[in-house]
Amino acid sequence: MLKKYIKLNMNEMPYPPPIGIINSAKKGLSNLNRYTSQKSLEMLKNMLSDYSKAPKEHIILSSGSDLLIREMIHLFSKRRKTIVVDPTFFPITQAAKQFAPNTMKIRLSEPSFDLPISYLVDELNEQSLVVIDSPNNPTGNILLKGIEDIVETGAYLLIDEAYYEFSGIGFAEFVKDHPNLAVTRTMDKAFSLAGARIGYLIAGKTFLNDFLGFDTFLPLPGVYAAIEALKNIDYVKKNVNKIIDERKRVQKEVTKMGIGVYPSNTNFLLIKTGVPDAARELKKAGVLVFDLSNQLSSEFIRVSIGTKDENNFFLLSLEKIINQNSFK
Amino acid sequence: MKRIGLIVNPVAGMGGSVGLKGTDGNMYKKALEMNAKPITPERTKEFLSYIKNIENITFFTAPGRMGEDYLREINISFKVVGSISENVSAEDTKKIAEEMVKKIDLLIFVGGDGTARDIYDAVGLKKPVVAVPSGVKMFSSVFAVSPRAAAEGTDLKEEEVLDIDEDAFRNNKLSATLYGYLNVPYIKRLLQSGKEASRTDKHTMEDKEGIARHIIEEMDDEILYLFGPGTTTKAITDKLNLSKTLLGVDAVFKRKLVGKDLNEEGILKLLKKYNKVRIVITPIGGNGFIFGRGNKQFTFDVIRRIGKENIIVIGTESKLRNLNCLRVDTGSLEVDKTLQGYIKVVTGYREEMMIEVRC
Repeated sequence: MLKKYIKLNMNEMPYPPPIGIINSAKKGLSNLNRYTSQKSLEMLKNMLSDYSKAPKEHIILSSGSDLLIREMIHLFSKRRKTIVVDPTFFPITQAAKQFAPNTMKIRLSEPSFDLPISYLVDELNEQSLVVIDSPNNPTGNILLKGIEDIVETGAYLLIDEAYYEFSGIGFAEFVKDHPNLAVTRTMDKAFSLAGARIGYLIAGKTFLNDFLGFDTFLPLPGVYAAIEALKNIDYVKKNVNKIIDERKRVQKEVTKMGIGVYPSNTNFLLIKTGVPDAARELKKAGVLVFDLSNQLSSEFIRVSIGTKDENNFFLLSLEKIINQNSFK
Repeated sequence: MKRIGLIVNPVAGMGGSVGLKGTDGNMYKKALEMNAKPITPERTKEFLSYIKNIENITFFTAPGRMGEDYLREINISFKVVGSISENVSAEDTKKIAEEMVKKIDLLIFVGGDGTARDIYDAVGLKKPVVAVPSGVKMFSSVFAVSPRAAAEGTDLKEEEVLDIDEDAFRNNKLSATLYGYLNVPYIKRLLQSGKEASRTDKHTMEDKEGIARHIIEEMDDEILYLFGPGTTTKAITDKLNLSKTLLGVDAVFKRKLVGKDLNEEGILKLLKKYNKVRIVITPIGGNGFIFGRGNKQFTFDVIRRIGKENIIVIGTESKLRNLNCLRVDTGSLEVDKTLQGYIKVVTGYREEMMIEVRC
């Protein structure tokens, strides 16, 4: 029999979307023999434009924002130095490794994991593509509080704002003034639509031509669900607030255990457990968390905030593995 | 009143600048013949100068240059324990530590891995220990990251004591053995981690090859390169078909070896001869030291003359992954401060990582 796990490794929203959104997706399913109409795609872009306060012509849709990040690095790293932070959202590292001929990582260090902006700007004396996730995944902190210092050098700047709804800090509205700025966002997280995979790029003029026709084939159920979600986003605000409250509670409980937990502006927490192979140990206890042994060290985990019951189970499991480790 | 024991190994670290990799056994005499200067006096004084509320401490110390002399200089009360021989040895360290252990709450020793091993033999886990780094190797995690860091100590925790086989070290092999555990005050952020073994997996080897390719492609025939110890630097000289000492400092000019297993004096001579010089070094895996551990031939005087802008740091991503930052402990706070901030590390072919240097 397959073991059932508490799934806290993908930063998904634990609450399903409202029934109206599910019904819209079903409506899309009943038309599966048809391609998504241009009209639906235009409607989705219009709504995302209103939501993000960025002109519609600057919005590119895709199945997930990771594909857009990959494409941005593929297209714009060739004759540039690509600068990314470390640790970062894994697809960023992966795409830089695969496509960028010249890369530089900037290590984010404990305890603050802050980005040393002045050192970054000093590096922009040659043509560069800078890719930063803010809030950062997996540290959870906001890396960019402003963009002027970077974009005014002429460097291309791509910001991944997958957790924008949790942080409230975003730069999408600035793309109209800065042709070298682009922002990726997703409806996977705060909108409870991970299964729909609606990601979007809000790109400055410099990048737009290279993305012509990129969004044509988005699946119909996902597009219908996204449109319905954007019609009434109150549920998003409600769920985000619930997650933030839970995140604060979990953070407090973890702090009581005497281990490291870092401030977060997302729906997950970075925890330094002090336990080697912590993710594997938690899996044995029935909880899936994101293993950071390839980015930080094996004592670090990234745990998504789930429902109250899921979080309680995680806290009990974490305490158990910490106690077991202290007797080793 | 806190009761603190102080034992200074007066010969620890003397082999570093003359390239002897340690002063265990007969190497001390050799170090003297090579005009090596003692480094423990400065390290001990620096350590003592950072201790807070020193007036609330009763010191128990070894006689003369094994501790008494330094406490006398700062004019505080202390009690001398036991006697020492004229030519101090490991036996003196052990004997004094054994005599002292019942009288104290905390033992401070100034030395390197060899001293840590002697302290372990005498004290074991009976009393907590603060280790002031003053040796050549100092790969044990018992050591604080600097004398200043060592001065901050309170809670207890066991930390491992590593010792390096010095004979193997001199013969170009690095072999660390877990010798035992000592109790140390819990100042995790100020304690170094023990040395990690060099990795030999496929990715790491590919990264080292990439680093070597990158560095060789960037090499300038007008510049003298001083390659520090380690398998990562050796990958470069291997690619150049040069026979480098694994644990020493070697010099390369126009892709030819012009100096092998250099000590400070040898390096300074080359600095007079060559106008443009660059150091190529790799951090120690596990603790991130780029200067001050295992490569004492690069003294603070050498580093000051060459300058931060001429230091090339190389290291694989797998090594850097476990490091929160790089560290320096050159013996000069002023030089350490010039090295602070972010530095670029070449991690592969056309791949770099910018990482913070702390002291």
